[in-house]
Formats: sequence, C-alpha cells, structure tokens
Amino acid sequence: MRRPLRWLIPAAALPVLGLLAYGFRVNPHDIPTPLIDRPAALFALASYDGPPMNLEAHRGHVVVLNFWASWCHPACYEEAPVLERNWQAYRDRGVVVLGVDIQDKPEAGRQFINTFGLTFPNALDPVGKVSVDYGVYGVPETFFIDGKGRVRAKHVGAVTDAAFRREVEQLLAER
Amino acid sequence: MIPELGYGALIVGMLLAVYGAIAAAASARTGRVALLESAQHAALGVFGIVTAALLLLVYAFLTFDFSLRYVASNTTLTTPFYYRITAVWGALEGSIILWSWMLALYTLIVILRHRHNARDLYPWVLAVMLGVLAFFLLVMTVPAPPFERLTPIPADGRGLNPLLQDSGMITHPIALYLGFTGFTVPFAFAIAALATGHVSDRWITMTRRWTIIAWYFLSLGLLIGGWWSYHVLGWGGYWAWDPVENAAFMPWLTGTAFLHSVMVQERRRMLKLWNIGLVIMTFSLTLFGTFLTRSGVIASVHAFTQGSIGAFFFTFLSLVVLCSLGLLAWRWDALAAEGELDSVVSRESAFLLNNVMLVAAAFTVFFGTVFPLLSEAVRGTKVSVGAPFFNQVNVPLFLGLIFLMGVGPLIAWRRASLENLRRNFLWPVVIGSVAAAVFFALGVRSALAALTLSLTVFVASTIALDYIRATRARRRMGEGLLPAMGGLLGRHNRRYGGFAIHLGILVVAVGITGSHAWSVQREMTVKRGESVELAGYTFRFDGLAARENGNHFLVESSFNVSNGHATSRTLHPAKKFYPNEQSPIAHVDYHLGLIDDLYVVLGDFARDGTQATVKIQVNRMVSWIWIGGLVLTLGAALAILPERKKPA
Amino acid sequence: MRGPLKPKFVVGIAVVAVALAYLIYAGVTQSAVYFVTPSELQAAPKPGKVYRLGGMVEKGSVSWKPASLDLSFTLGDGQGRVQVRHHGAPPDLFGEGRGAVAEGRWTGDGYFQATQILAKHSEEYKAPHDGARPSYQDMMKSLRGGQ
Repeated sequence: MRRPLRWLIPAAALPVLGLLAYGFRVNPHDIPTPLIDRPAALFALASYDGPPMNLEAHRGHVVVLNFWASWCHPACYEEAPVLERNWQAYRDRGVVVLGVDIQDKPEAGRQFINTFGLTFPNALDPVGKVSVDYGVYGVPETFFIDGKGRVRAKHVGAVTDAAFRREVEQLLAER
Repeated sequence: MIPELGYGALIVGMLLAVYGAIAAAASARTGRVALLESAQHAALGVFGIVTAALLLLVYAFLTFDFSLRYVASNTTLTTPFYYRITAVWGALEGSIILWSWMLALYTLIVILRHRHNARDLYPWVLAVMLGVLAFFLLVMTVPAPPFERLTPIPADGRGLNPLLQDSGMITHPIALYLGFTGFTVPFAFAIAALATGHVSDRWITMTRRWTIIAWYFLSLGLLIGGWWSYHVLGWGGYWAWDPVENAAFMPWLTGTAFLHSVMVQERRRMLKLWNIGLVIMTFSLTLFGTFLTRSGVIASVHAFTQGSIGAFFFTFLSLVVLCSLGLLAWRWDALAAEGELDSVVSRESAFLLNNVMLVAAAFTVFFGTVFPLLSEAVRGTKVSVGAPFFNQVNVPLFLGLIFLMGVGPLIAWRRASLENLRRNFLWPVVIGSVAAAVFFALGVRSALAALTLSLTVFVASTIALDYIRATRARRRMGEGLLPAMGGLLGRHNRRYGGFAIHLGILVVAVGITGSHAWSVQREMTVKRGESVELAGYTFRFDGLAARENGNHFLVESSFNVSNGHATSRTLHPAKKFYPNEQSPIAHVDYHLGLIDDLYVVLGDFARDGTQATVKIQVNRMVSWIWIGGLVLTLGAALAILPERKKPA
Repeated sequence: MRGPLKPKFVVGIAVVAVALAYLIYAGVTQSAVYFVTPSELQAAPKPGKVYRLGGMVEKGSVSWKPASLDLSFTLGDGQGRVQVRHHGAPPDLFGEGRGAVAEGRWTGDGYFQATQILAKHSEEYKAPHDGARPSYQDMMKSLRGGQ
C-alpha cells in the first residue's frame, strides 16, 4: 500500500469514535416526555412548613419543580445540597424552587429536610396525584417551568449545578 | 480519616504511575538504565499503594465506616461478612480499584518475568502498562472516587443490591477483570514492537502465555456470568445479548482470533499487520466495554450511574485507538508478510477464515449494540435490536467456526494434498454423517440442532483420531499405553491443551444447542395441593412459609417434584423482601441434572398461602455448558505449562 | 502485503463482506424494535409492528387474574394512555405508579398485547414506593396464620 493510503486505517476509527461521542449528547435516561412546551399541571399541596404550596401562585416566575423522597439513596441525597445552594443563589432573581416529596412518611420527609437544611418550600404528595400528573417515573426528577407556566425541560436523576444553571439561565434570558 | 488517607494514597499512586510511564519511555528513547530502574521502582510503589488502598477500602467495609459514601451506598449493618468484602467491587468506584489493582499486579509480574529476557521491548512495555494504570488511577481521583466522604454520616447504609448477594457475584467480576486487564500485556508488547520497530515474532512468543491466560479468564468470567444469570435472575436463561454482556463478548471474540492468528505468524511469518491490529482491537474493546457500562451511552438492564466518567473513558479510548493505529500505519512497511498464502486448502487458510468469522461476529455484536445510537443519529428514532438479530447473524458464523475447529488443527500447512485430506478427515466426515442419521432416527427434528450436533461429532472425531494415531505411533516404539498417552500430553502440551480447549467449547456448544432446542416451560396458578405437569414431571404445590432471614424477609414456597420412577425431591422457590428495595427479589430454586434442569420461579402468591403463580421450566443440557467450562479450564492449564525441551 | 492484492483475495473478501452485510440487514429488519411512548402510540398505532412501549403504570389500572394468568393495565405518560394485556405474572419490579416497558404488538382491537414486560434496575434512580403495600409485619402475620 502506498504511503498515504496507510493512514486510512487510523482514519477509519474516526467515524466510530464520532458515533460514540454522539452518544454523549443522547441521554438514554431521558425518557421522552410529551409535557415539553405544554402547560404544567396545576396543584395545591399542604407544605411541611409555612403556607400551602400552590403552583399557580408562582405564575410569572421561573419555577424549578423537584420530585424527591427520603428513601431515595444516593441520588436525592446528592442533589439536595445542589438545590439548596442554587435556590439561595437564584431566589433574588425571582426563581422559585419547589420540592414535592412523593410516597413518603411525613416524619422521614421532615428529617430529610432538616438534615439538609432546605429552605425552599417542600410538600408531601400523599396520594401521588401530582407525580402522576407529571408522568414521574421515579425519583429524583426535576421539571423546569417558565414564567408562562409551561414545562420547558425535564431532568432525570440527581440534578447538578451545571444542569440547574443551564436551564434556569436559559429561561431567565427569555423574559 | 480514612477517606482522606485513601484519596491521598490514590493521588500519590497516580503521580507515581505518570512519572514511571514517562521515565520508562524516556529510558527507551535514550537508553539510560537509571531511568528504567527508577521507573521500575515507581511501578513497585504504585503496586504497594494500590494494594494498601484496596485493603483500606475492604477495612472500611468490614468496620461499617459509613463516613465513606461508597460504603454507605453498598452495605448495611445487616449485610453478611463475606458480602461486605465482595461489595467492595459491587459498584462503579470499587470496580475501578479492583481493575487498577489487577493492572498493578500484572505490571509487577511483567517486571519480574521480562526485565531480562526482552531488553529492547521491556522499557516500552513498562511505559504502556504504567500509562494505562495512570489513567485508571486518574479515574479514581476525579470522576469516580471510592474514597469520597459522605456528610452527614448516615446511621445505616443503603445496602448491596440483593441480586449481587450471590456466590457468582463474588467470582464473576474477578475472573472477568483478570481477563480484561490481562490483555493489556500483549497490547503493551505490540506497542513496544511498533515503537522499537522490532516487529518480528519475538513479541508474540513473549506474550503467548499471557494471551492464553487473559483469554481463559475472560472465558471463565463469561461462563460465570451466564451461570449467575441462570440461577439468580429467574428467567431461566444464561445470555440475553444485553449491551453489557456484549461488551465482554466482543474482546473475547477478537481475543480468540488473535490467539489463533499468532500461530500463523509464528509458522509462516505472515499476518504481522493483522496480528498487531487484532491485539489493538482487543484491548480497545476491553476499554470500550468499560466505557459502555459506565457512561450510560447505551441503556441496558445493567446500566450503572452516569456522570463525567464516560467522558474520561471516551477520551482515553480515542487516544489509545488513534495513537496505536497511527503507530501501526507508521510501521507499515516493516510489517510486510514474508510468506504467502499458497493455497485455499491449507491451515493458513483455515486460520484466516477462522479469524474472518470471529471478527465478523465481533462486528455484528458491535453493530447490534450501538444500533440504537446509530438509528437515533441517522433517523432520530430510538430503535433497538433484540436477541433474534444476534442469533440470526451469529449462528451461521459459529457453526462455521465449529467446523473449522475440526479442520484447522489437522489440515496441512501451505497446501493440503488430497492424501492429507483423506487421511485426516475421511473417517470424521463419515462418523459425523452417521451421527446425523442417528440423531434424526432418535427424533431430533430441528435441522439446526442436528447440524450442530453432527458438526460436534465431526470435530470430536478429528481430535480422537489424531490422539489415537499419535498414541499408536508411540506404542509402536515400545511404550506402554498409559505412558504413551500421558507422554503425548506432556511433550506436546500446547497442542493437546488446545485440543482440550476445543473439546470444552464443543461441550458448551452442545449445551447451548440442547437448551435452545429442547427446553420447555409453563406458567400456571395453583392452589395448595394442586399439581402442574411438564415434560413428564409433576410439580405439586405444598404451601408457603414465611420468616425473617438475616437482612431480609423470606417467603418460601414448597414444591414436591416427581417423575414417576426416581425419588421425589422438594424445591423451595422463594421471594426475598429487602427493607431498602421497593420490590421483592425472586429466589429461584432448581435442581441441576446432566440432561434435565428443573427450574421453578415463584411469581405472585396469595397472602394466606393458599395459592401461588409459578413459572416452571425443564431446561435441557444446560449443565453441559458448565461442564464445558471445566474442560476448558483443564485445557488452558495444560496449554500454559512450560514446554519440555527434551523428548519425553 | 506488498504489491496489489491477488484477485482471489479481493473476491474472497468481497464475498464475505456481502454475505455478512446481507445477514445483518436481514437480521436488523426482522428484529428491530421501536421505542414509543403511550401518546406516540396513540397518535399513530401500526397493528402488527413490534414496539417497546414505555410509560408509567396508572394507579388503579392493574388487573391480575392468577387463575387464568391474565394481566392487564394501562400505561400512561401524562398525556396519552394505552391499555396493555399480558399472559403471565407481572415481574417483580412491576407495580402501580411505577415505570414499565412492555414489548409487544398493537392488536388493532384497542389494546397492546405484550409478550414481555421489562423492568430496569439502576442505581441512581428509584421507582416510587407503593404506599399501599402491606408492611412486613402484617405480611408475616397473615402468612403465618395461613400455613
């Protein structure tokens, strides 16, 4: 084989590697949700502390709606500080973080909130109606809702600082 | 304390490995011995550090140190002692430390064995091994640290996935990883050969035993995985073409090809380029396998956590593939064959065909595994291919390979004469054909089963014929029967070890064929006292019992199985309820036999114990798969014995 | 290999490549399985085509008759819903209010006939508790009584 042709061999590996790299953009944990760009289901729940939680009351604000549970090791434990941290960072810009505790015992949920010192509103969803309305498969799942009350993104698994900021900044920029 | 200690140790280890790799490479370029010795010391240091880190982790598990996130995620206060040790490698971070430790161990052995007998290649080999080790240590310091602190410290851990609390899970990762990491050594030698330009056969002779050992452990790991799947997962199968299974199977396929094609290079000095390419492919596939299971790129029943670890692996994999293939292209001219393929009817040709089929199978498995990605990239739809695809494409290839197992070892090199063909294959072909007729007469109606079994008989006949002839020749020289038989094995252990391995594969093939063709199953709901009939067996449901059983709650059913003549036995399929798991784990009960496996899974049951839904299987010939594994083991052991120089 | 490849090699390689390509093509077209959500299936169901239907098992929709091994339930995704029928006991990870994937065909009679129900175990992701499941103590009591 002539000199230049031999380099075809390493070059042949590039498309395969490219395909695998593409795999990174595609998250198999993203169970497709038809809720994107649809109005977020309204709900009202009694919160653990403070006034009742009512989604409609936050119309006009960017809302980060997080579904969690105290028995959800380790993912919910990993993301709780992330949520709290970002709640503190973004609350001045009008972003609202709401936590919904599903299929849980009130004492366990309270303990979880105390352990992580969560200051954003959290409510227990006793019969699971809210999680059904949002097509929640499991915990944790986080929905990013824009000021017009539409679901714009869904994140499955523990939410990271980067993911939180990316989604929220994008929604804030739209206003 | 422990998290910081372990973490620090791994950082030091990583830096040492990086230094060692650079020093060894520099020594190769400049010839300075001091650098090489320094690199060796660094390697020893890394081995010590990784061993210490591993022991530290085991200690943390044994003492319930929940300040470590990894310990808290994988064990509870009630996890039994032995599972606490195996939990060390039960999840991502721990599996990487196990991988790293094995790599460090192999590096140590390479140092001890090869520092004097491969002087030109050795520095590069060391550099590559330490480089790979450095990568895995990097993974443990950044994306997947086993020594990460958990605050606040929980009172109890989450627990080990109950499916992993099994004897198979103790041995399966160890065997598999010994196989995966073992292929790093031939790869390192290949890179050394390319780097130095000494691409003749020495690197192959040096690594022959390494390749067999790595290949053997990979085979063992796959078989144990199949066994674990069979007796734990409750679906009565041992292989599902799951992406994670495929990830381990692909390097096995190319590794097998490599094992065979090196023989052509040794004998005829051909296929030099091909061999280096194969070993690069095999090593890359071991990395790809790890990448696949840890990156979340492809959804799988086994999928582990996602995170940045995928990006790390992908980068390293790309680096390895592009650099080694680049080196290959660079040394292209030196890799020209010195021999030629004289005839299609020759051993070279058989080995070549064997390679083509194995690589084709590996490609098929790869294609099927990444197909969901491909279809999404091209069409935007999520499409997956299931078991039928893999079976449909691979079965013809595997049948061809079985046939070649019979032809390859006996056909002549260069050009097989008609006389050679007649002498070696006439009887086996006749016996194989007779066997086909016998199977048909016995009632085997599946054409595929009949074909596979006849081919198996054909291959077994070629092996038997060769052994009988060789023994006879020795006896004519005056040797007794047993000394002749034993002497053959000892004097030509590589050849007969190979034959024994082939026999092992044949036994496995028979097991797979039988289990597919003749297994039956039935699902039924029965009331207490009622029976289910299947394949001549009667399964009578005798009731349920419940009790606390250590770290779980056990609901056990009782089934009395009889088949008329043999004594009856009782099977107890059960359901285990673990406090931290949201669903019960089925505990299959089974009775293994040479031909018939009785296999019962408890499904739903009435809370008052009066009724149960069960899935019953009578699986045929599955035990042959495990027996084949045993034969394989003996063959591999025979094959790696040191060759005796004097005639026996 | 030095020099141009011998014709017999080119032919040999071509034959193998073509045979393999054909096998793969046949295999893929015959066993490709499409992943759909309930709303996607509702929108454009194709009877006879093999799908993997993924959604959440709706509360109150599960009907399990042990005697006849008839299982039926509804899979939904918040917008659409599909009725699924299956012959055989549900797998252990199956339950109301949880995710499930059913592999099978749309019958054209208004329901999806599943040949297999798949469940996935992942360490970062937990399916919701079924709060209605009895506690272990209750189960123990009732089972001991029924022996």
